[in-house]
Amino acid sequence: MLVIQVLLNGIVLGSLYACIAVGFSLVWGVLNVINLMHGSFIVLGSYLAWGAYNALGLAPWTALLIAAPAFFCLGYAIQRGILNRVIAAPVLVTLTLTFGLDLMLNNAMLIGFKADYRRLILDPSLGTVSVGSLVVPTDRIVATIFALLLTLVLYLVLRRSRIGRAIVAVRMDRDASRLMGVDVPSIYAITFGLGAAMAGCAGVLLAMIYPISPIAAGSFLGKAFVVCVLGGLGSVPGAVVGGLFLGVMESFGSLAFGPEHSVTLSFGLLILFLIVRPQGLLGKRGFE
Amino acid sequence: MLGLNLRSHRARILSLFACAVVMTFTGITTHAQEVIRFGAPLPLTGALAPEALKQQQGYDLWAEQVNKAGGIKVGNKKMKVEIVYTDYQSNTPRAVQAAEKLITQDKVDFLFSPFGSGAAKAASTVSEKYGVPTIAATASSAQVYDQGYKFLFGTFTPNDTLTTPLVDIVRQKAPGVKRVAILARNDLFPLALAQEMEKSAKQKGLEIVFFEKYAINTMDHSTALSLIKAQSPHWIFATGYINDLVLIKKQMGDQKIEAPVVTMIAGPAYQEFIDALGKSAENISSASWWDKAARYKGQDIFGSTENYNKLFREKYKSDPDYTHASSSVSGALFQMAIEKAGTLDRNKVRDELARMNVPTFWGPVKFGPTGQITSLEPPVFQIQNGKAMVLHPASIKQAEFKLSVK
Repeated sequence: MLVIQVLLNGIVLGSLYACIAVGFSLVWGVLNVINLMHGSFIVLGSYLAWGAYNALGLAPWTALLIAAPAFFCLGYAIQRGILNRVIAAPVLVTLTLTFGLDLMLNNAMLIGFKADYRRLILDPSLGTVSVGSLVVPTDRIVATIFALLLTLVLYLVLRRSRIGRAIVAVRMDRDASRLMGVDVPSIYAITFGLGAAMAGCAGVLLAMIYPISPIAAGSFLGKAFVVCVLGGLGSVPGAVVGGLFLGVMESFGSLAFGPEHSVTLSFGLLILFLIVRPQGLLGKRGFE
Repeated sequence: MLGLNLRSHRARILSLFACAVVMTFTGITTHAQEVIRFGAPLPLTGALAPEALKQQQGYDLWAEQVNKAGGIKVGNKKMKVEIVYTDYQSNTPRAVQAAEKLITQDKVDFLFSPFGSGAAKAASTVSEKYGVPTIAATASSAQVYDQGYKFLFGTFTPNDTLTTPLVDIVRQKAPGVKRVAILARNDLFPLALAQEMEKSAKQKGLEIVFFEKYAINTMDHSTALSLIKAQSPHWIFATGYINDLVLIKKQMGDQKIEAPVVTMIAGPAYQEFIDALGKSAENISSASWWDKAARYKGQDIFGSTENYNKLFREKYKSDPDYTHASSSVSGALFQMAIEKAGTLDRNKVRDELARMNVPTFWGPVKFGPTGQITSLEPPVFQIQNGKAMVLHPASIKQAEFKLSVK
């Protein structure tokens, strides 16, 4: 029974990891930009959910409707206004730029919200779902369902819509797609906007689960990195598989080696994958 | 011609600027003779920022009160105090650099330790090297003070003074409690505290059915908690900082883990902990080194615990907790030592600190041979109806111990 409970814990945790990582993976895969602001976007999304619930009484799943367009606009503006200027430069330049922007955003949040931990307490609480001695908290299930739904929507947008096909085309071959008439800068901005929107939505959902503080940004970013490497860059299903894999591995790692080693295990996996299978579980070799 | 004019104009501005800079610096030097400078390396940003801000509030309140009263009496004159802060961004190696910078570049006269046992221990090497009396306001682990250093003093009693009275109360009020599960953050203070708890519990005949550590920055405790649940303990004892403990309690609720006794250190002493958990914080017990319910009369600048609480509330519109109070009392202890020594001579001030035996709003203060305080009796408390109520010591007791944490 304990093993099944641990597996359940791992799957739920893994879905949250997937939700954290999918936007990050998209931006990295398509733009070749490692967006170090991703963790701060997530935290900002959590604050949005917290504010919407406490000031307007909006449940987090309703707050998604505000977060998605708001963060899309924010991401779009940052890409168009700032990142686009150095997009052709080597990856280190954009990395440094997003690092700087992240410092600014994170410190602005520290000033605005202070470093105190806040928590979004749903009243009445959602409770838990239990079958026999197995228990799963409902808020995690809700977050998981919405996270998977959002990911599915993103996947469908990429597969079915004109813009989505253009994004995939740019990811595969920027120059060829430009020759085909794709407006590359605008696709970049849309992709970055989508990445930011996914981060903001992830933040809204995670607000139900984790204490909110600007200093949590680093932990989210760290997980996003690991999931991307495990799942494969720029691939939406990859982020889901990578997230689930990491969640389950960490849960069983805690069971086998003790909870103190779960973080070690996730970074150990990162190194192992970088050596043995750098393209990740679902990534294709050769894409930058 | 115009170019020449511009150039000479620029040169004039430059020389004026240079004069201003020189004057400012000489200003500082003369200024420094009338002001006593205290260095405070703090993790003002990063993971430990919430705690650092509390320390800063405590120091600032003390400095404000001293300056309002005209300053510290050094011999025949009164000198104002200034606290020089340096942010080490929650990065311990940088705390050591920050302490060194404060001593060598900012020329502070005395030093407050950085936050927590780990950083305080690391930085104490620097203050010892330069012979700067240093008070650690937030370091409790005995390992910080066992290095034979002469210049380090601390206002927290050793960790076992927190766990022993807790075990005594539980043994007395709930004799049925036998099985103890301990979950500890793998960090100097939380781990040392958990080990003390293990020792105290074993001494009193309790059985430790689970003892595990979790890594710093752990984002999920569900598996550890599933393992704890499988052991059906009577007493769950978790250590960590406020974010860890809020998450652990939330996940305990998620897995419907209930126990007669749940103890968490160090978080429940903070109002933020109670606010963040709401009803699920009910009946969680804890211990800390001070509580605003204490009623001490002191010879320090604050005079009494009541007066300290009042001044704090006036300035910050909230109640003080033990981190605030410990920081304020650290300043007040320096003040008393300097006034007694009648000089800023570091060795003499150090000797006065070592000799000190005074009542303060924080409680009686006397440092043991290692520099760590030995005179305090830390309160044990429990969250009841959304408030931290003191259970022990008897002199400041506010409530009876209650069982069952849901």
